[in-house]
Amino acid sequence: MSEIIKNKGYTNETLDWKAWLDVVDPAAATPEQNRVLEMSHPKAKVSDYYLFLVHQPAILQQRSEAFNAIMYAPGGLSRAERELSSLVVSRINGCVYCASVHAQRFEQLAKRNDTVAQVFEEPRTSGTTDRERAIVQFSIRLTEAPENLGPDDVRPLKDVGLNDGEILDLIHAASIFAWANRLMLNLGEPVFPQE
Amino acid sequence: MNQNEAMSPQDGDVVDAVVGLKAGDPLFAVRHAREKVSSATQASYDLFFGEGSAAFPVHERLAVAWYASLLSRSESLARHYEQKLDASKLDATVLDAIRRDALDTLAPTRLSAMLAFTRKLITRPVEGDEAALQALTHAGIATADVVTLAQLVAFLSYQIRLAAGLAAMKALEAEAK
Repeated sequence: MSEIIKNKGYTNETLDWKAWLDVVDPAAATPEQNRVLEMSHPKAKVSDYYLFLVHQPAILQQRSEAFNAIMYAPGGLSRAERELSSLVVSRINGCVYCASVHAQRFEQLAKRNDTVAQVFEEPRTSGTTDRERAIVQFSIRLTEAPENLGPDDVRPLKDVGLNDGEILDLIHAASIFAWANRLMLNLGEPVFPQE
Repeated sequence: MNQNEAMSPQDGDVVDAVVGLKAGDPLFAVRHAREKVSSATQASYDLFFGEGSAAFPVHERLAVAWYASLLSRSESLARHYEQKLDASKLDATVLDAIRRDALDTLAPTRLSAMLAFTRKLITRPVEGDEAALQALTHAGIATADVVTLAQLVAFLSYQIRLAAGLAAMKALEAEAK
């Protein structure tokens, strides 16, 4: 990472996360739990988040299948733009932990951090290009008022050149963070690095 | 008696049904080009509403889903979950409290604690705190069932937005015709 950005309580530093209830002891995990941890995330066996969710391995497996396909599948919306949507949704929902992870991923993929600084400062006006701003506005709208979403919200995406497959990928990326943010915010808390 | 309460995969794809997507529609093809996502979304639904468990039966899960959809003002999904719900399995006061969003009328029970957690997760996720989770434990809900409940409400937040996004795409497609 080139530079630490801290603003409004958000950061692109690497944070830890601790669960508020008992997690599964990795040494006592069943074969099914081990298999699901391994397919979920490379560091799942040392992560409180996954060790808590793996109390219900079948549910975690389907969540991870959906999450990994949405964020990493080839083609369609660029991975950096999926990360931008995830970052904006996390910022709007107030998920400091998720925002730190996806700020880092955006920067790794886009090779720049200017948009991250904008999203931390004020997500509603963020975006360095018309295309980024359209992605940001749609992500905010889907997060805050899905009941009011309509054709007028989709048209600006087409106007900046997104095709239907890319728009679907954007809907998936924003929606899966409605899921992820709620778990991270309500099952435990971020742990910040020692100053 | 609602024969449909126990869902099975043969019931088809729920998001397609709720949005009104059919094989042959251009948007259906767009959505199912991401088959891993659509199948994991449906498989999640089947896990939540298929068999349930003694500690967290399907009719309580459907009550949570109906309440989450109402709070999110998702008419199509609220209708879906209300229709799946076997009202005879739930106390009339619970159904009324959900419909009117008036949980304060309920006596404290396991289900009322779960509905309160649902409300917090749906409407004010950033206010989540340790006390809200402890309230579930104090209501006698085991950790594994807390995980199911949290995953269920978080999944619903996703499903509601996925359906809303697809419906908006469909509406734009209809305008262009």
